[in-house]
Amino acid sequence: MSRGYDDIVAAVPVTVPYVRRSEHGADWFLARALAALVAQSGLRKLVIDGLCASSFTLGPDTAVALTQHVGLSPRYLEWLPMGGACGVVALRRAARAVQAGDADVVACIAGDTANDGSFRDLLAGFSSFSRAAVYPYGAGGANASFALITDAYMHRYGATRQDFGRLCVAQRDNARRNPLALLRGALTLEQYLAARPIAEPLHLFDCVMPCAGADGFLVMQRGRAEALGLRHVRLLGAIERHHAFPDDPVQLRGGWAMDREALWAQAGLAPGDMDVVQTYDDYPVIALMQLEDLGFCAKGEAVAFARAHDFTVDGDLPMNTGGGQLSMGQAGAAGGYLGLVEALRQLTGTAEGRQVAGARHALVSGFGMINYDRGLCSAACVLGQ
Amino acid sequence: MKAAAAAGLFAVQRCRVCGHVQYPPRACCAACLADDPAWEAAAVRPGTVLARTVLHHSHEEMFRARLPLALALVRLAEGPVVLCFAPDRPAIGNAVQVRAALDATGHAVLEAR
Ligand SMILES: [Zn+2]
Repeated sequence: MSRGYDDIVAAVPVTVPYVRRSEHGADWFLARALAALVAQSGLRKLVIDGLCASSFTLGPDTAVALTQHVGLSPRYLEWLPMGGACGVVALRRAARAVQAGDADVVACIAGDTANDGSFRDLLAGFSSFSRAAVYPYGAGGANASFALITDAYMHRYGATRQDFGRLCVAQRDNARRNPLALLRGALTLEQYLAARPIAEPLHLFDCVMPCAGADGFLVMQRGRAEALGLRHVRLLGAIERHHAFPDDPVQLRGGWAMDREALWAQAGLAPGDMDVVQTYDDYPVIALMQLEDLGFCAKGEAVAFARAHDFTVDGDLPMNTGGGQLSMGQAGAAGGYLGLVEALRQLTGTAEGRQVAGARHALVSGFGMINYDRGLCSAACVLGQ
Repeated sequence: MKAAAAAGLFAVQRCRVCGHVQYPPRACCAACLADDPAWEAAAVRPGTVLARTVLHHSHEEMFRARLPLALALVRLAEGPVVLCFAPDRPAIGNAVQVRAALDATGHAVLEAR
């Protein structure tokens, strides 16, 4: 088993408010996230000597160019093009860097812009496999990929649109208490079921809405956070896995299933100890799959599990308490940070209007990068006060 | 390649060393890393439908006039999984014959019948 993370903490969750579209570039959103980290931590900018960054629309630049944009001289630098897994992976990498003394304070940021051309360009050039063997089949993007996974999951495990709908409605209830959520209108199961089809079996409210925005947090030693008077959260365990189960003909499980025992052993906790759960939810099927693969229920039983639990902020298993991506929007790579930033708010008692009473432990998981027929990156972490 | 597609044929890669069959094509064998995988005719026997979707939205103008578009994920008898057009809307588990065709832009695409 890999070693624990000692007293490494995450602090200062920040969000550059999401907007449907923007004339600003990704560099602007990333800079605003970094500025918020500096302002809210009280640190001088140059004390930040580590940087983890992720973005889909920063091209041709990477984290390297970003150091010159924002005037940082880090001695530890990561570019994590892992989409929905990038937040958990950034925390995992940054924690090791701080633990080993390779950096004192790491800023982890992800952000993207959104405009008429950006989303289509991103899809058209997403990967060499997708360019050759997916995009020419109707250019449906992630909607089409997740539609296929959803169809296989429904067929195999008997999930229905009502099951996915209940999850979407619960998350919308949570979003209505979150001023940062883009979609805050009431959503009923009837409205969900009556929505227009996008890529069957997916309909409108199953599909994440692309937007612009950024999120970030800082990683440092606990002593430093205490000296700065920053509320902080300990990293108790973390896993990542890429291209898991290559022989599965269709993706009905993610990499979490390979590593969940290591995660819970490292954290010294079990799924039942979690007060708050943040699953990656660009489409509801993948949120349910994470509950199975991370051990909250057995494989194929997420539907029954979801029927037996209440995922709202006041429910018995608060999940995606800010509304998740399905109600907050997906600001590109920041979608991989959203659950982590929300968990940090919940565990530091700063989730205004939607605070889960007494939340001490949280699970956050990420999923990213449908390269051809499946998402390649899986990650998860356990956080504690 | 285009001539083969016009004749309905398409190819997958087979490793010359370990026999692993793969799609989409890549620069090495994903099983043993051997260089220069060979090409061989695929879908000689029917494949099996794993999953389906019907697109009602496309990010490209050229597809919008053709919506709704039915697609399927098909496991070839040779092993690899391919995404293809599936205008007959087969059910999961159905046996289908995958063939190549030329799309409106002259690119080879796969179609299950
Ligand atoms: Zn080989």
